[in-house]
Amino acid sequence: MPVYVDVARCIGCRSCEVACERVHEGLGHVKVHFVGDSASVPIFCHHCEEANCTIACFSGALFKDGERTAFDVEKCTGCGLCSLACPFGVVWTDKIAHKCDLCDGRAEPACVTTCPANALTTDFELASRRARVRAARTAAQGGRR
Amino acid sequence: MTRVLVPTVCPYCGAGCGLFIAVEKGNPTGIEYMRDHPVSEGALCPKGNAALEILRHQDRLTSPLKRKGEGFVEISWDEAMDLLVREMGGAIRKHGPRRIAILASSKCTNEENYLIQKLARLLGSPNVDNCARLCHAPSVVGLNRTLGAAGMTNPIPDIASSQCIFIIGSNLAENHPVISRFIHRAHDDGAVVIVADPRETHTSWMADIFLQLEPGTDVALLNGMAHVIIKEGLFDGDYIAKNTRGFEALRESVKDFSPENVSEITGVSPDDIVRAARAYAISPASSILYSMGITQHTTGTENVQAISNLALITGHIGRPGTGVMPLRGQNNVQGACDMGALAEFYPGYRKADDPETVRYFSSAWNAEGLPLGPGLTATEMIDAAALGEIKAMYIVGEDPANSDPSSRNVHGALESLDFLVVQDIFMTATANLADLVLPGAVWAEKEGSFTNTERRVQWSFKAVDPPGEALSDLEIVCMVGRTLGVELDYPDAASVLAEINRTVPQYAGITRDRLGESSLVWPCPTADHPGTPILHTSGFKLADGRAAIVPVPYRPAAEESSWDYPFILTTGRVAVHHNAGSMTRRSPSLISREPDLYVEMNVADALRLRVADGDEVMVTTPRGETEARARLTDGVKRGVVFMPFHFPGTNILTSEVTDPEARIPEFKVSACKISRRD
Amino acid sequence: MIRIDPDLCLGCCSCSNVCPNQNIVRTETQDKRSIHWKRCKEECDLCVEFCPAKALTLVPFDESVPEPEVSFDLVACKICGSRYATEPMLRRIESVLPAESQKDPEGLEWIRVCPTCRRNIEAERATREMVLGRCRKSP
Repeated sequence: MPVYVDVARCIGCRSCEVACERVHEGLGHVKVHFVGDSASVPIFCHHCEEANCTIACFSGALFKDGERTAFDVEKCTGCGLCSLACPFGVVWTDKIAHKCDLCDGRAEPACVTTCPANALTTDFELASRRARVRAARTAAQGGRR
Repeated sequence: MTRVLVPTVCPYCGAGCGLFIAVEKGNPTGIEYMRDHPVSEGALCPKGNAALEILRHQDRLTSPLKRKGEGFVEISWDEAMDLLVREMGGAIRKHGPRRIAILASSKCTNEENYLIQKLARLLGSPNVDNCARLCHAPSVVGLNRTLGAAGMTNPIPDIASSQCIFIIGSNLAENHPVISRFIHRAHDDGAVVIVADPRETHTSWMADIFLQLEPGTDVALLNGMAHVIIKEGLFDGDYIAKNTRGFEALRESVKDFSPENVSEITGVSPDDIVRAARAYAISPASSILYSMGITQHTTGTENVQAISNLALITGHIGRPGTGVMPLRGQNNVQGACDMGALAEFYPGYRKADDPETVRYFSSAWNAEGLPLGPGLTATEMIDAAALGEIKAMYIVGEDPANSDPSSRNVHGALESLDFLVVQDIFMTATANLADLVLPGAVWAEKEGSFTNTERRVQWSFKAVDPPGEALSDLEIVCMVGRTLGVELDYPDAASVLAEINRTVPQYAGITRDRLGESSLVWPCPTADHPGTPILHTSGFKLADGRAAIVPVPYRPAAEESSWDYPFILTTGRVAVHHNAGSMTRRSPSLISREPDLYVEMNVADALRLRVADGDEVMVTTPRGETEARARLTDGVKRGVVFMPFHFPGTNILTSEVTDPEARIPEFKVSACKISRRD
Repeated sequence: MIRIDPDLCLGCCSCSNVCPNQNIVRTETQDKRSIHWKRCKEECDLCVEFCPAKALTLVPFDESVPEPEVSFDLVACKICGSRYATEPMLRRIESVLPAESQKDPEGLEWIRVCPTCRRNIEAERATREMVLGRCRKSP
C-alpha cells in the first residue's frame, strides 16, 4: 500500500516532491535522489509492516493503521527519535515530525497522479509486474536492458 | 464556502497539460489535477505544480509605469496611453510604420496574438514576429517546405503506438516531461528508443541506442542514416513513388555519408549509426521527436529537412505511431505562429510577400495600406534597433534581453531605441529597459484559446482577476490599437476567435462553442469536422500533392573550438525551470531546487584545469564572460560544456550568427574558454 | 522548577518543544546541541510528562539552585560526516530496535548514518541493476 516506484520510469523531474510539498502546506515527504549521472529515484515511506518509527515513538504519535503507518500530530513532541529510527531516512523532524500519509483525504496520493512519467502507483500488482518484466529482461540480456 | 474548479491550460510548456485552479471567494487556493485530459491524464510537471506561486507573486506588475531616471513611477492607464500616442504614434508619424517593430508573445492566447499581428499590420508595419524565431523557426520554414505544414504530425499519446522512437536534439524528459509516459508505454510494447544528444540527459536514460554526437553535426548523422537506409534497400519504394519527389537527388547527395565518414565527423561509432538506421527503417511505425538541438543552429532549417527526409524515404508519416514531431517549447508558440505573428506569414501561413495575401486581408479586415512583407524577424529587429533603423518597439510578454543571444548587444540595441514599451507580468530585464511598462495578466487571469505542440487548441478559462490595475493582454492590445488610431474593438476573446474562424482556414471549425466541450486539433476546416490529429494521411498540401525530399549538405557550425577558446559550449534546459526564468526563478519551490547558474564539465577536462565540483569558474566567449558553478560529470564528452539558459548569464555568451533562412541564432554552438575564478 | 538528570537526558528537546512558556531553550551549532532549563514558576508538568527518558522532575522553586544546562556533541555520520544526532538518542534507538535489524543487508550499521545518506544508499540499491543496463556507449 505504500507508493511504489518503477525506477526505470523515473525521469528525475521532481514533480512528486513539489506536489507533495504543495498538498502538505510546504512539508514534503518525498525526496528524489540522483545516482551519479545515470539514474534518479524518489525515496518514499515504505509503510513498513514492522515500522521502526512506531517502535521508537514513545508518545504513540506514530502507529500502524492497517497497512498504513499513520501519524497523529497531536501526540507528537518533536523528539526526533522516529527520524533516527527510520532505516530509509523518510521521517523528518523539525519541531514536529512529518512523513508520508498517503495523502489521507485524497482519492489518490498527489505524487501518483502528478508523476508525468507515470512511474508511481499504489497498486502492488502493477508495481510487481513492472518490476518483474524489467528484471526478466535484464536477466535475459545478462545485465543489459 | 464554495470551491470552484476552473479548467485552465498550463502556462509553461508546449505540452499543454490541463489543470484546475481552485477558487474560493475570488482567490486562488489550490490546484487540482485534470484526470481526463487527453495528453496529461492528470499529470503535471514540477512547473505546473508550482504554477500558483506566480499568481499572486509580490513582484507582479500592478500598474502602468513610466521611466524616470534609472527607475519608474506609477502612472494611470490614461497617462500611459497619452505617452504611447505621443511617442509611438509620433515615431510612426515621423518615420513611417516600417520603422517600428512589434514582438508578439508566445505565452499569450491565440486571440491576443491574432490582435497583436493585426495591430502591427493595420498600423502599416510588416515588422511583427514572436520568439519562435529563437526556437522553431527552422521547423516552420523547413516543414512547410518539405511536408506542406509546420506542426507536430501526430498527437502525443500516439507516441505510445510507435515501435521505434528516435529522439534527436530534445531532452523531453526535462522539457516536456509528460511525453515520457507515452515513451514508457511504447517501451513496454517492445519499442526501440534511440536518443541522439551531445550529452547524457534524463532522456538518454530511456535509450536503447544512445548516439552521443558532437554539437552541430546532426546533418552528418541524419545523412549517414539515410545513406545506410538507401544502401541496404530499407527505404519504402512504393511510398516514395506515390507521395514524394526528389528521392534521386537525395540518393546522390548522401553517397559519401558512409558510416565511417560520418563517424569521423560526429564522433558516433559506425556500428551505432548502422544499428540506429536499421531500427528506424525496419520498424513498422517509427517517429522522430526533435527540438532545440536540431533547430538552434545556423543549419537549423537544413537539420529539419534532413529529419523530414528520413521520415519520407521510409514512409514513416501519415500513420499512427509514425511522424515528424517538433516539440515546441512555449505554451502557445504554435498558436502565435498559426495566428501569423510572424515576419514572413500572415494568419494561417499565408505568405506575407504575396500580394494575394494582402488583398485577402484588406478585404477581411476592411483595411487599407496593409504592408507587403516580409518584415524584420525578432533577431533582425534587434540588429535594426542597434543601427537606428527601428525607432520604437512594442514588446509583449517576451524577454529578448535574456532570451536573445549576445545579451550585451541586445541591451545596447534596446537602449538605443527612441521609445520602448514593454507589456509583461514581471519587471524582466527587458521591461527594465523600457520607457513605458504595461502590466499584463497571466493565464489564469484571462480566457482564451491556446494551441499546444500537437496543434491541439484548448480553451482556458478565467479563474481570478489580475492584480491591481493589470489588465488582460487582449484588453491592453485593443486599448493600444484605439490609442494609435486603428479599429481594434472586441468585447471578449470569443469575438476574436469568431474572426479567427473566418480568416484562418485551419481554425475555421474551431469555434468557441465546440471548444467549450473539448479540444480540437487543426486543420479543422468546418464546424462539423472532427479535427486532424494525424497529418498527411493522404498526400501532402504541396504542389501535386507530393512531399519534397530536399538534399542537405553538411555544413559545420559557425564557430569551432580554437586555441583561445578550446571548449564548445552548448545550452539547454532543466526540468524545474522554464526558458528565461522570469517566472520559475521567482517560484520558491522551483528556484530552491536549482538555484544557480552552473556549467557542466567533463571530469577529465575539469581535472586538467584544476577545477573541482562546485568551484566558481569564469566562462568566456568572444561575446563576453559569465560566472558559473562547475558541475563535474561524465555525461559530456571531453571538449564539450553545457549551461542552462534559465539564468541571465548564459546568453551573454551565445552567438548571434543565424540560419540564413529561418534566422534563428546558433545558441547550441559557441566556442568558449573556462578558467577558475581565483 | 525543573530538575534534570543529565545521565538520562537524551538531548531530544521534546521538553523544549512542549513547554508553553519557552522556559527551555535549545541552542544548536554545527556540532553541539545545548539545552538550558530556566527557572520556572509554572505549575504545568508537560515537560516531565513528555520526556521520553523520564529525565525531568519538578522540584520546589529555589533561587539559589543554578539553572541546569546540558550539552551534547553531535555525532558525525559515518559516511558524510554531517552532525545529525546526539549519542544518547542513537543509543536509545539501538536499545529499542531488534538487534538483527541494526545492520543492513550489506552489513552497514545504518543507525550511525544520517537520514540523507540512508536515502542515498536506498536510491543506489534501488537503481543498481538498472544502471548497469542503461545504455551509454556501444554494447
